Amino acid sequence: MENKSYFSGLFSGIKSLCTGLKVTGRELFTKKVTERYPENRKTNELPERFRGVLVMPHNEKNEHKCIGCGICEMQCPNGTIKVESEMVEVDGKKKKQLVRYIYDHGCCMYCMLCTRACPQGAITFAPEYECAVFSREALIMQLNQPDSKCEEKPAPAKPAVAPKPAAAAAESQPVAGNATPDAAPAAPAADSAADEKMAKLMAAAKKAADNAAAEKVAAEEAAAKAAAAPDDAELKAAAEEAAAKATKLATAAENFAKKVAEAQQ
Amino acid sequence: MESFEIMFIVLTAMIALGSIATVLTKSIVRAVTYLLLVLLGTAGLYFLMGYTFLGSVQTMVYAGGVIVLFVFAVLLTSAKEDKLSENTLLKNIGAAVIALVGLGIFMTILCLHGFDVAALTSPDETIMPMTTIGKNMLSTNHEGYLLPFEAVSVLLLACIVGGLVIARKR
Amino acid sequence: MFDFNIVTQWLDTLLMSFLPAWATVLIECVLVALVIITLYAVFAIVMIYMERKVCAWFQCRLGPDRVGPWGLLQVFCDVLKMMTKEIVNFRNTDQLLHHVAPFLVITASMTTFSCLPWNKGAQIIDFNVGVFFFLAISSIGVVGILLAGWSANNKYSLIGAMRSGAQIISYELSIGMIMLAMICLTGTMSFSEICQQQENLGWNIIRGHVPAVLCFILYLIAGNAECNRGPFDMPEAESELTAGYHTEYSGMDFGYYYLAEYMNLFICAGIAATIFLGGWAAPLVPGWEQWNHIMLYVPGAVWFVLKVFFVLMLLLWERWTFPRLRIDQLLTLEWKYMLPMTMTLLVVMALCVSFGFVWN
Repeated sequence: MENKSYFSGLFSGIKSLCTGLKVTGRELFTKKVTERYPENRKTNELPERFRGVLVMPHNEKNEHKCIGCGICEMQCPNGTIKVESEMVEVDGKKKKQLVRYIYDHGCCMYCMLCTRACPQGAITFAPEYECAVFSREALIMQLNQPDSKCEEKPAPAKPAVAPKPAAAAAESQPVAGNATPDAAPAAPAADSAADEKMAKLMAAAKKAADNAAAEKVAAEEAAAKAAAAPDDAELKAAAEEAAAKATKLATAAENFAKKVAEAQQ
Repeated sequence: MESFEIMFIVLTAMIALGSIATVLTKSIVRAVTYLLLVLLGTAGLYFLMGYTFLGSVQTMVYAGGVIVLFVFAVLLTSAKEDKLSENTLLKNIGAAVIALVGLGIFMTILCLHGFDVAALTSPDETIMPMTTIGKNMLSTNHEGYLLPFEAVSVLLLACIVGGLVIARKR
Repeated sequence: MFDFNIVTQWLDTLLMSFLPAWATVLIECVLVALVIITLYAVFAIVMIYMERKVCAWFQCRLGPDRVGPWGLLQVFCDVLKMMTKEIVNFRNTDQLLHHVAPFLVITASMTTFSCLPWNKGAQIIDFNVGVFFFLAISSIGVVGILLAGWSANNKYSLIGAMRSGAQIISYELSIGMIMLAMICLTGTMSFSEICQQQENLGWNIIRGHVPAVLCFILYLIAGNAECNRGPFDMPEAESELTAGYHTEYSGMDFGYYYLAEYMNLFICAGIAATIFLGGWAAPLVPGWEQWNHIMLYVPGAVWFVLKVFFVLMLLLWERWTFPRLRIDQLLTLEWKYMLPMTMTLLVVMALCVSFGFVWN
């Protein structure tokens, strides 16, 4: 306004006022967006990404994806999550199994660090909103259903020291596996569809990299724990496992990024 | 008793009591509020006599203009100074002389002209249409009011200057 | 066109036939006062409901719809709440002025309200200098606002009152200039004559064409400012001054300010309808005899109220569109833009009238 002269400032002001009047004038006749809540509680649907409450999806066989790694518990800034797990013998191998997944809804601040960190995608936020209860105890809930068990992975590539990370790496990048063959031939064509695919691809690559980074953090933490208690064999093994997983993920992410770069060219 | 006489008594009582309250109160803002009552009562007298234009001018210039400027001036002074200063002997004598002079002038006019009750019986306002008022207002003839009309603006100027003087930084 | 004088004349002769003159006048005054107060309250309730609904529509919402059908009882509940609330007295305040101030505001508002011409012959105050009287009386409200701010002994109230006073006094100039321009066109200051003239000659906004339309737009801006309403609601900019000059008021004392604010808006719209849109004059089109015949069957009061609500919609549209101005921007708008414009329009209108560039 200071740079304009009196009259040009006046006329540009009037023009902008008219624009505002046009906007609100149109708004007067548009459909109203108010949700009539208690009446529409049956039909009301919140956006998919609304963070209402943490849930652990189970499939029809009453299986969840949680491997009881406890990364979510470590990530949570408020100590909202308690993962109780135990080691069981399966086919002669020791395996961690989830016993109880305790979530205190009253402590949660819906930051979503847990779901981002989860290597299995086992937990997610559900768009629920009628969460009020009469006591704090009622807010503490167990997310894994009774008698549920961890979903069986597709047959591992080799029964080596780290079968899980490999599977996890393969599983955490389903997009990568699917998208790369499609995207590579599509990339040369400079149409919008290709651009869109490329964007998706890059997002997937970024996600893989993020996963790798999260894993690395977890591995470091595990290593620190192991260092604190040098004679605990179990912890040491866990740390090694985590480190191996992190390395694997990082390599996978790097490879993926390279592929994306190639496809881009 | 006629209805306009009742109204006259009500209005004059309002003016008289308002005037007394104005000079008796210690708070400047209250004094200004009572003065507003007096000025509005005067405007009411004009309306009673059918001088609607004069009544409107009274309301506009005094109630609307002067009072607002007064209130502004009072608001701009600090809260501690809104009490009037103590009366001294000199002040009392001066005030008495001025009051007596005012009373003298008022009584002289009343004796010379008499109390014209007929003026109170509301004259038909339609005999004085707006155009006549406007023409008289801006005419420089024998019956023209151009000079007083311009003098009114000097009054407002004086009020603005007075407000500034009171409000200026000390 | 129905002439309301028939009713008032009949009532006057009826009372005069068996009562002395002073009793007749007394009864008529009481009746008129009752009518004013009733209309005032009814229109205030309608206005508050309308404001809420229209504001909601402009913001893509539904507005109140829980209390009663379509939220119709919402305003009544609010009024009940306001009337039953405790009136709080504060120490170190000027109690007398604190309680007198709302009455000054409401008195000014009611007196201007009674200047509105509702129908032919249905006007409570009708002077030969009606427009001037209207301007004079409306300025008393400022005193009430300033006193409210001062007597509360609260710096927010005081700042709010000062802003409000500065704003109202400034924008009164624009309103005065616009009214002068329109008086140039009509040649009379009496509201009833202005309406009558517009019934005979056509609405002023059409007669005065370009300058009149510009005057109308400027009047809408200055009117919103005069009523202390957004985008000019600086005096009660709640984020910085809590509630401006009525911060310390509670109960019905606050209710009076609330009422006066809404009714000032109504009066502002009513004056716009009278001066620009013909008041109670029906929309007559020369040549369309059938149309004119039908239009004349509708009572003038209906036309007046319809026009007022049309102008109110425009004012609300403005109020709910623009963001609040800063106090210096507000005064800049008045003194650097509105006042020169209205002065120019006054000159243009005077030239138009003297050279006969008006549609009759």
